[in-house]
Amino acid sequence: MANDYALFLGCIAPNRYPGCESAGISCSKKVGINLHPLKGASCCPAPGAFGSIDLNVFYAMAARNIVLAEKMGMDIALECNGCYKSIWEVNHKLKHNDDLRDMVNEVLKTVKDPSDPSGKSNMEFKGTIDVWHLIELYYDPKICGVEKIRDSVTRPLTGTRIGVHYGCHLLKPKKERHFGDTENPMWIEELVGALGAEPVQYRKKMQCCGAGGGVRGYDIVHALDIANEKLINLHEAKVDAVTEVCPFCQLQFDRGQIEIQEKFGKFWGLPVLHYNELLGLAQGMSPTDLALDLHAVPVDPFLKKIL
Amino acid sequence: MAAPEGWKPKILGIVCNWCSYAGADLAGSARTQYPPDVRIVRIMCTGRLDPLFIMKAFADGADGVLVSGCHFGDCHYLEGNLKAAKRMFLLKSVLKDLGIEDKRLRMTFVSASEGAKWAKVVEDVVKTVNGLGPSPLSQNAR
Amino acid sequence: MVDKKQKETKAKAAPKAKEAAPVKAAAAPTAKEAAAPGKAAPKAEGPARIGVFVCHCGTNIAGVVDVKAIVEYAKTLPNVAHAEDYQYVCSTPGQKKIEDAIKEKKLTGTVVAACSPRLHEPTFRRATKEGGLNPFRFEMANIREQGTWVHMHDKEGATEKAKDTIRIAVAKASLLQDLTPKSVPVERAALVVGAGIAGMQAALDLANAGIKTYLVEKNPSIGGRMSQLDKTFPTLDCSQCILTPKMVDVGRAENIKLMTYSEVEEVEGFIGQFDVTIRKKATGVLTMEEAEAKGISGGGCNGCGDCEPVCPVIKPNPFEMGMKPRYAIYIYHPQVVPLLYTIDFDSCIKCGLCVTVCGDKKAIDLEMKDELVKVRVGTVILATGFDIFPVENKREWGYKQFDNVVTSLEFERLICASGPTGGHIIRPSDGKTPMRIGFVLCAGSRDNTGIGKPYCSRFCCMYSLKHAHQIIEKMPGAIPYLFYMDIRSFGKMYEEFYYRIQDEGAKFVRGRVANILEDPVTKNLHVYGEDTMLARPFDMELDMVVLAAAVQPAAETEKVRKLFGVSCSLDGWLLEAHPKLNPCGTTTAGVFVAGVCQGPKDIPDAVAQAEGAASAASIPIHIGKVELEPYFAQCIEENCAGCGMCVNLCPYKALSLVEKEGKRVMEVTEAKCKGCGTCGGFCPGGAIWMQHFATPQIIAQIDAFLLGGAK
Repeated sequence: MANDYALFLGCIAPNRYPGCESAGISCSKKVGINLHPLKGASCCPAPGAFGSIDLNVFYAMAARNIVLAEKMGMDIALECNGCYKSIWEVNHKLKHNDDLRDMVNEVLKTVKDPSDPSGKSNMEFKGTIDVWHLIELYYDPKICGVEKIRDSVTRPLTGTRIGVHYGCHLLKPKKERHFGDTENPMWIEELVGALGAEPVQYRKKMQCCGAGGGVRGYDIVHALDIANEKLINLHEAKVDAVTEVCPFCQLQFDRGQIEIQEKFGKFWGLPVLHYNELLGLAQGMSPTDLALDLHAVPVDPFLKKIL
Repeated sequence: MAAPEGWKPKILGIVCNWCSYAGADLAGSARTQYPPDVRIVRIMCTGRLDPLFIMKAFADGADGVLVSGCHFGDCHYLEGNLKAAKRMFLLKSVLKDLGIEDKRLRMTFVSASEGAKWAKVVEDVVKTVNGLGPSPLSQNAR
Repeated sequence: MVDKKQKETKAKAAPKAKEAAPVKAAAAPTAKEAAAPGKAAPKAEGPARIGVFVCHCGTNIAGVVDVKAIVEYAKTLPNVAHAEDYQYVCSTPGQKKIEDAIKEKKLTGTVVAACSPRLHEPTFRRATKEGGLNPFRFEMANIREQGTWVHMHDKEGATEKAKDTIRIAVAKASLLQDLTPKSVPVERAALVVGAGIAGMQAALDLANAGIKTYLVEKNPSIGGRMSQLDKTFPTLDCSQCILTPKMVDVGRAENIKLMTYSEVEEVEGFIGQFDVTIRKKATGVLTMEEAEAKGISGGGCNGCGDCEPVCPVIKPNPFEMGMKPRYAIYIYHPQVVPLLYTIDFDSCIKCGLCVTVCGDKKAIDLEMKDELVKVRVGTVILATGFDIFPVENKREWGYKQFDNVVTSLEFERLICASGPTGGHIIRPSDGKTPMRIGFVLCAGSRDNTGIGKPYCSRFCCMYSLKHAHQIIEKMPGAIPYLFYMDIRSFGKMYEEFYYRIQDEGAKFVRGRVANILEDPVTKNLHVYGEDTMLARPFDMELDMVVLAAAVQPAAETEKVRKLFGVSCSLDGWLLEAHPKLNPCGTTTAGVFVAGVCQGPKDIPDAVAQAEGAASAASIPIHIGKVELEPYFAQCIEENCAGCGMCVNLCPYKALSLVEKEGKRVMEVTEAKCKGCGTCGGFCPGGAIWMQHFATPQIIAQIDAFLLGGAK
C-alpha cells in the first residue's frame, strides 16, 4: 500500500478551484503517488471558524474524517494548510491524549460507520493512520522528491518569476510541527525551481495572507489590509505569479484582489496559482483541465509566458 | 482483584536523602498537593537498597513499593543509584515469579530541585496501585 | 507461604538484635551475646523507652492534622514511654521539654514529629544530647514537608499518615545506638575554581584571612566577564579601572597560588581533605620564576610582545568576541594578570619565529607539556561564571544571519575604548556609524518555547539602559530604541538610573520584537513587533540592533560540578543548599558557590556572595577539624565469608580484605567510608552493619508501617 493515499479534498478547492483537485490527482499519479477518493468526507472543519466557537465540535468533526480513512486502511493526503491544521493536529492530539480520545469516541459512537453495509457498527477513532500534506509528499525523497518532480516536467515554466507564500498552519505552531525553520524556509522554492520557474524572494514572505482564524469572515477590511501588504511586497519583487499550498490563501489573494479593488481602489492583477496548478501546467495539462478560467484574477499574463 | 469497601493502598517509599528526599521536601515547601498513600523510609543512598527490604515489604502486605534516587550521573556517592537500578532489575523478575505484578514496584529518579516531579510521581504510583487493587500477598486479597 | 520462609532464613543470618517479626513483639527484644565491636552485631539492650514530641508548628501542622489524637495514638505504640505535643518544639522551651522528659522518664530515645530532618535534625540531636542521651538516639518523623503541607485538603488522610510516620520513627528509634561522630582534620588550604570577580574576591578574602588559596582559572588571564566590560551600571565606573587593582592584588597576594590556563581534572576526598588534581595546560611560555629555576638568568616572559608580530597564525580573539584577531602566541589584552604570553598549541605551527625573536630571554618552550598538579584543600568555592546563550537559535532575530545584528557583549567590546574599534560603534556591514540603534531586551530569556531560557537573566535591563546612555553620550544625534517587556531596575540607585536614561532621550517601546528582517541593499534592519501601550503593530527601520541575550552557565560548569558532586537546579544553575538561609553553600559539605554560576546576578551581588562564600569556607579551616556523621559501614566478622565482593562495590575504596585470627574478613577504613550503604545493600550474608541505617532498623521501619497500625 505504499504511496497510496486517501485524498482529503476540503471545501474551497473542489468548490472554487477544482484545478487543484484535478491536477493533484493526475500529477501525483505521474510521480508515483496514487490518490484515492475519501468518500463521505465533510469540511475538515475550518480551524479558525470552528475552532474558535466550539473545540469539541472541531475535534469530533475532524476525527470523523480521519476514521473514514482508517476504514480505508490508508493515510490521508491533503492539499490545504487549513485542512492540515484540522486533520493532522487532531490526529496527533487524539493519538496522545487518552481523555480527549475518549471524549471524541463518545460522540462518534452515535455516528453510523458508512463503510459497514449492515449499518450496525458505529465509528471509532483508533489512531491507525497518518496525515500528510501533498507538498511534503512531493518534497520527501522517500516518496517522490525534488528530482522526480523535475523529471516529470514536460513544459518547463522557464522565464517566469514566482513568489512562494508558505502560509501559516503548515509550519506553525513550531512546537507542534516537524518542518523545521519557520523564519525562512526554502523547500517549496526548491519544488518551484524544479518546474523550471525562478523562485523569487520578497519582503516579509512569511506573513499571513490575512484570511485565517475567522478574520476573513469577521472583519474583511482588516483581512484585505493584510493581503494587500503581501501584494505590495510581491509587486515590489516583480513576480509573474504567487504560488501557495492552501486554497484558502488562494481565495484570499485571488478573490481578494477584486475586493481590494472595490474597497481600496487598487487592482494588482497578480495571477495566483496553487502549487498543484503549477505542477499541472508544467506537466502539460491544459488551462481548461485546470479550470484556470474560474480564477477571479485572470491567469493569462502568466500563461502567455509559458504556453 | 476486587478491593474491599474503603480499601486504601499501602505504599512504601524508599528514598535517598540527597536528591529524592530533598525533592519531596521541596514539593512540601511549594505546597504541591498529592495523595497521602505513600509512607517514606529514608536512606542515605538508593545504593543501600537491599532487595530484602522490598521482599519484606511485599511479604508484609505492601500494595506497592516506590524507590526514588538521584539521576544517573548525579548520585551523591557516585554510583549508588546505578547499583540500585541493577538490583531492581533483577528483583522485578523474581517478584514476577512470586505473582506480584510488575507495576507494583517502581524506581524513579527525582532530583533535589524537582518538587513538582515528586508530586507527579506519587500521584502516578497511587493511581497505578489503585488500578491494580490490593496485592495478592496482602490480607485484603483474601 | 514460600517467600516468608525464604525471608526468615535470610533474617537468621542478619544481625540478631531484632527478629524480623511484627513490631508488637518488641517488648523484649531477644538480647544476644555481647562481643567485641566488629566481631558480632552491636549489643542489643534492654527494653526501649521512647519519647514522642509532636509539634504544632503553629498552624502548619495543627491546622491540618488532629495533634491531640496523634499524641494519644503515640501513647499506644510499643516502647513509647512518653508522648506530648507543643506549639514549636524547635524553640527553647520546646527543646527543654525534650531534655526534661529524657531525664524524668529515663528515655532511651527520642522522636520528634515535625518538619523535615534536613531542617532540624541537628537541632533535636543537640536537645537529645542536652538531655543526657547520645545525640544519635534521635529520629525525626517528617509530618510537615511530607505531611500536612502536601495533604492540606485531606485532613483525615494526613492524620493517618502522620500516625504511620510516627509509628515508623518509633520503631527505628527503639533500635538506635550510641554513635560517636568522627572528627577529621581540615587542611589549612582552600580552592577557588574560576577567577572572575566572584572568584577573585573570594580568593582575596581567604588569602587575607591567612588561608593558602589555590585560584584556578581556565583562561590565560584572570578577570572574567568584568574585564570585557566598558562601563558598569549605575555608577558608570570604568570596569577595568575598578577591576585592575583587584587583579593586581590577586597576582601579588602571597597566600594566593594563582593557576591560570588550568582546569580541575579529578577530585577525591571530602570536606577537610579534598584531593584535587589540576591540569596546568601548557602555555609554551616560561614565567620569570620558571626561567630562573631553569638557570636562564634574567629570562622568562616579561610581556614585551615582540613575539606577536612575527607569528604567522591568526585566530579570532575570544576576549574580543571574535571581532579582533589574535596570534597563535597571544595575550588577551595588555592588562592581563599574569602578564604572560600563551601559545595556543592547537593553532601553532611550531615555525619557531617567536623563539628566535625572543632571543636571550628564552621564554618560549615549544615542547612544553601539560602538567598535572595535585593539591589537598579543606574547602572549595566554585565560581565558574557564565556564557551568553547562543541567540542564533532564536532565528527570528537574525543573529549570525544579518551583519548588523550583534549581541550585548559584542556591543560592549565595540564601545570599549580598548576594543576592536577603539570605542567607536560602527556597523559591521559597512563601517558606518549607526544613528538608529535598537535594543531587543529579553533576547532568549523569559522564554517558554523550549528554545530559550525560561528565567530572567537579571542584569540585561540595566546594561541595556547603560548602553543607551553610552550611545547618547558618545554619538550625538544617535537614538537608542529599547524594545522591552519590563524594565527590571531592582538594585540600589537602579530606578534612579532608569529615570535618568529616560530623561536623556532614550526611546522605550513596550513589546517583544517578533522578528527582524534585513534590507538586502542597505543592510538596514526592519524590526517588527507590537507596541503594547499603543496597541498597534510597529515596523521600524533601524541601522543596527543589539540583542540583550540571555545568559547560561559557562560550558565547563557541568564537568566541574560533577567532579565536586554539586547538583544543579531545574534552570541549570548550581544548586544552593537553601535558597534563603544558605545561598552560598551546597548540599556537599565543604563546597560553596559564588557569583553567577549559582544564578544571574550583578556585580555587587556577585561580590557579596563571594565574601559570604569565603567566610563560610574559612570556618572549617579555622576550627581545624570537622565532624562527620558516623554512618559508617561495619563488618560483622562472625557472619563474613570473606568473599570480597563488597570491596569492589565501594566507590571510595574504603573496604579491604584482611586476615584476622586465621579467618579472612572485610575491614572498613572509616576515614574513607562515606556511609552510602552500597556494600550493606549487597552483602548476601548480612555481614555488613550500616551504622544508623542498619538492616534491622530499616526492616523494623517497614514492619512498623505494614504490620503495626490500626486494628
